[in-house]
Amino acid sequence: MKKTEYVKLIDTTKCTACRGCQVACKQWNEMPALRTRNLGSYQNPPDLQWNTWTLIRFQEYANKNGDFKWLFRKDGCMHCTDAACIKVCPSGALYHTEFGTVGINQKLCIGCKACVSACPFDVPRFNQETEKVYKCDLCYDRLKDGQQPACVLSCPTGALTIGTKEAMIETAYQRLDQLDGKGVVYGDKFVGGTHVMYILSEDPAVYDKLPVKPRVPASVILWKNLFKPFTLIGMGAVAGMAALHYLIKGPHEVHENKEGGE
Amino acid sequence: MTNHYIDLKNSDVILIMGSNAAEHHPLAFKWILRAKENGARIIHVDPRYTRTSARCDYHVPIRSGTDIAFLGGMINYIINNKKYFRDYVDNYTNASFLVSPDFSFKNGLFSGYDAEKRTYNKDTWTFQMDANGIPLKDPSLQDPHCVFQHLKRHYARYTLDKVSSITGVSKENLLKVYEEYSATGAPDKAGTECYALGWTHHTSGSQNIRTMAIIQLLLGNMGIAGGGINALRGEPNVQGSTDHCILYGNLPGYLKMPTASLDTLGRYLDKYTPKSNDPQSANYYQNYPNFFVSWLKSLYGDAATPENGFGYSWLPKMDDGKHYSQLHLFERMYKGGIRGLFAVGTDPAVSSPNSNKTRKALEKLDWLVCSNIFDNETASFWFGPGVNPKQVKTEVFLLPAAATMEKEGSQSNSGRWVQWKYKAATPPGDAISCGDIQIRMMDAIKTLYAKEGGPNAESILNLKWDYKDPQGNMDVLKVARQINGHWEADVEGVEKGGLVPTFGMLKSDGTTSCGNWIMSGSFGADGENKMTRRGKDDPTGLGLYPNWSFAWPVNRRIIYNRASCDINGKPYNPKRKLLEWTGEKWVGDVPDGPWPPMADKEKGKYPFIMKTDGVGSIFGPGMADGPFPEHYEPLEGPLDHNPLSGQLINPAIEIFSDESDQVHNASEKFPYVCTTYSCTEHWCSGALTRWQAWLLEMQPEAYVEIGEALARELDIANGSKVRVSSARGKTTCVAMVTRRFTPFTIEGRTVHQVGMPFNYGWLYPEDGGDSANILTTTVGDANTFCPEYKAFMVNITRL
Amino acid sequence: MSDTLQNTVRVTDPIERIAHWLLAGSCLFCLFTGLGLMFHTWDFIPALLGGLYAAKWMHIFSGVVFAFALAYAFVMWKKDCAFEPDDARWIAQGGGYLWKTDNLPPVYKYNAGQKLFFWFVVVFGVLIVLSGMIMWNPLAFPVAVARWSYALHALSALVIGSFFVVHLYLGTIGNPGTFQAMTTGRCSRAWCETHCPRWLADRDKGSPTT
Repeated sequence: MKKTEYVKLIDTTKCTACRGCQVACKQWNEMPALRTRNLGSYQNPPDLQWNTWTLIRFQEYANKNGDFKWLFRKDGCMHCTDAACIKVCPSGALYHTEFGTVGINQKLCIGCKACVSACPFDVPRFNQETEKVYKCDLCYDRLKDGQQPACVLSCPTGALTIGTKEAMIETAYQRLDQLDGKGVVYGDKFVGGTHVMYILSEDPAVYDKLPVKPRVPASVILWKNLFKPFTLIGMGAVAGMAALHYLIKGPHEVHENKEGGE
Repeated sequence: MTNHYIDLKNSDVILIMGSNAAEHHPLAFKWILRAKENGARIIHVDPRYTRTSARCDYHVPIRSGTDIAFLGGMINYIINNKKYFRDYVDNYTNASFLVSPDFSFKNGLFSGYDAEKRTYNKDTWTFQMDANGIPLKDPSLQDPHCVFQHLKRHYARYTLDKVSSITGVSKENLLKVYEEYSATGAPDKAGTECYALGWTHHTSGSQNIRTMAIIQLLLGNMGIAGGGINALRGEPNVQGSTDHCILYGNLPGYLKMPTASLDTLGRYLDKYTPKSNDPQSANYYQNYPNFFVSWLKSLYGDAATPENGFGYSWLPKMDDGKHYSQLHLFERMYKGGIRGLFAVGTDPAVSSPNSNKTRKALEKLDWLVCSNIFDNETASFWFGPGVNPKQVKTEVFLLPAAATMEKEGSQSNSGRWVQWKYKAATPPGDAISCGDIQIRMMDAIKTLYAKEGGPNAESILNLKWDYKDPQGNMDVLKVARQINGHWEADVEGVEKGGLVPTFGMLKSDGTTSCGNWIMSGSFGADGENKMTRRGKDDPTGLGLYPNWSFAWPVNRRIIYNRASCDINGKPYNPKRKLLEWTGEKWVGDVPDGPWPPMADKEKGKYPFIMKTDGVGSIFGPGMADGPFPEHYEPLEGPLDHNPLSGQLINPAIEIFSDESDQVHNASEKFPYVCTTYSCTEHWCSGALTRWQAWLLEMQPEAYVEIGEALARELDIANGSKVRVSSARGKTTCVAMVTRRFTPFTIEGRTVHQVGMPFNYGWLYPEDGGDSANILTTTVGDANTFCPEYKAFMVNITRL
Repeated sequence: MSDTLQNTVRVTDPIERIAHWLLAGSCLFCLFTGLGLMFHTWDFIPALLGGLYAAKWMHIFSGVVFAFALAYAFVMWKKDCAFEPDDARWIAQGGGYLWKTDNLPPVYKYNAGQKLFFWFVVVFGVLIVLSGMIMWNPLAFPVAVARWSYALHALSALVIGSFFVVHLYLGTIGNPGTFQAMTTGRCSRAWCETHCPRWLADRDKGSPTT
């Protein structure tokens, strides 16, 4: 089956942080709200949670010239091509959909939490009660039906759009031109390209909790690309050598001549 | 809005002042962003850096309540630097009109002030007339009595230094805004202003808007695509409820509520039907009798006859000189003068100013009927904080109402689009629509009156009340058709009962009946409900979408659109051609009347047809507090003097002087300026949204936003609990320490401003804090009595 | 050939054998469930156990057993497995398993290879237990610690697994007569003279044959 890869583009220069997306996500995915407190910020819940798959991060920032900006960043699953979460998932609960996005099948999830720490974007969240991990699946059910994800549909300003990967990358760079280059396209240059991309008004390093150079963690690569195969290779090789030893040298017999000698 | 939401995209410069558009009009804001994408400059002037500021080109912080000083400085700049659009000013405004020589302005007061009554006698606020009763003009604008020279002198006092010292805006910022905005005075440029409650919620609220209207007239920005003055109104029906007379002084369609001294229909119509002797002035309100009598016919039907003045005498009348605003109602209630209250879809215990007084006033009622989709602080006031239920005599009824989506009907947006919508769900339980509640209530009242009689019985018994369907429920289409209007007699080939296709056909002889003249035309003569239209064609390319819903008046999308053309009917800006005179007719938007442009001295008319003189009012004698806006300090502010005059506060505002209305001006006890607002996540008082868990999760409890500098001074940590107090009350909430509030330098000293959302209440959520209105002052605008929610003084202490 | 009983020596006591089998059994079980969790192609293992979710918990519980068994084994065998100078010579000659040697140093209870195995199991066992504990609740640890735990866990499994195969071979067909040490606990005297002559001598001096 030929894959049509979709990319959701988050244009932070058009986001007004109305948080329609945050609510639409919960509504479509039937996620409950939890009682929160005001911790001195508009950002609430304070972070992604098992019941909060996307949220707007509010950040007050002044650049070197002292120009003040209030930055809004919609956080959530980036839907990596080279997805660390899928790499570490033992159950197949996390998988690549035909749209290139990272789907999640909670029925398969065994709550091992490997994806939680593997994710370079710190996205998956574990629910102690259900023993399952939750995250955005870019509304796979809606995509399959030819519908936009709930967040995109809810966005009043056009900050959220979705389309084929090629089209959205083009759109992103066109927008960058429109902004006279005062921005950064984020998402097309690492982890094989993410299926959620940003147009950021500032350098990525400025943003809270946004990795500048996200990648599948070295530990995951060592684990999955080296140790994992070598577990079988190692045990197999040793078993093979033992067999060879047995065939060539034979068993290590006890010296019969000494028996009963002393 | 004189224009409409989509039209914002046609603008070259958008000044957002008195509005937090991105947070409170998130859907409309996309058109502002669209303008930005097209290269427009977006400027936000607001005390606080908000989500709106984040998306604008830049934000200019301003002290609450000093907008007139800021804009007055802009007028001064425009005149001094000749940035005004001369052709437009000459032809389409009253700049050249000569004002009465007796008119004066001295030390903050206009001529005719009565200090005792705190009102103006406006006899001198008039124009000099020629022998025919037409205003005298000086086209050179040089006559010292002409409006333009008065304007120039009035705002010459608003120098950069003075304005900066009052507003706290740096001179650089002032100049930056003035320069950029006044550049729209060019014929091919459009500048627009978006305001909302940040301008109206002041003792000089109406004058804030007036000041901008003057600027827009000077720059030729009225009546053009991408221009206008645009009140961004909230959730769909703020516009609709105003059109249908939510305000005490209005009848539907902004007709005037009669007062007791206007005891006959003749006297009433005489007073409110304007007269112009200028043959070129359309003076459209000369049709006032047609609108008003048709409305009386809609009210009393066949019982309204020419002989009985169409039932005029049955109408309730206001006492002369008395006001009936919410402030006055609660004042009277507080003093025991009101026995019963219907609070339909409102939560005044949270949303009215000076909550302690408001809540106390509710205890004086015998009965209170609330109608809402949830319980709220008003319906439950009797067990609120500090209230002993045993001592409250008020009997409270809470009627479950249907929510917006549970009923069919029309909704009007700010752009005057009246859009029909259908019922999406059935209301739960016993809930019925507010319309149905009223129908049933009136049925019962009529039955009682028929049986027992009572005061003013004719008014009740003669009321035409046939809005039910066969099942006995409200037939909303019947209501809508009555609002549109119909013939009451067979006239000119039209049968009695036929729908009136436009208000131009309304008559004052009783042959037409119309519930709201501005809505006339929402149905076609063929019965088509134009409010249901959903055509997406855009022939002008300007986003007028003439076949999408119905826009009052007569589907005109931009009001005063004839002013977008020169006196020969050629568009000032050919790139954004809103309207054009072909020599025979106007092409484009629905024009403000069919007459030729004003260069045609015989048949041509001036463009501002709703104004008696046919032109835009730079000199505006209709205002209660002066024909030119003047800066006054808020009722409660940080200054003990007005840097511009000897008048500290607006001389025409009514002062409420109960113990509960205490004000501490320039007091060390309450040193910080405070303003109130709502947030995107909650709607108005939060009475509907606080029960919505997803919304509550995002904005869970009351907070006060405090600048970093002040927080350091007071040693307040972000996220800690603080007490905010004013002379009227105190409340506890979370401190949100932010860089989005910065201190102002006012008259040489540092003034801090803080801000709080008002949309929380003690009822729900628990421990969510209470309304910021516990702190606000009981005072309103001099013209509208819209309460001052935006500027008052507080103190903050850490807990 | 003498009477089997008379010619055998008791080389392990029951406690030792129980500890050994707990260790070996839990290790083997962990190994197989671990492989089932790591390789999607081996999902017949979790399938047999009632699914991956069950396998996850069995792996964890088995790991707990392994941890306790390891701790006991360490206490029990650490003295016998302490290295001595002669061990170097033994290793230098490959313990006689790989080529013909004549002067292997006489072994006490365990030869240097067995000691090496023991210490590898101890060290990587500790690592696998610790990393496993972190993986049990990775959210309680800094993300870097959690991430490296997974890698370390896999590496330890690789090491222990490989040694396990060697151990299996040498403990069974590679050294006939050895397996009984962990079943009946008795080996032939000749076996003892071959594999642990110095211990046998000590033992003979101290107490009579049982």
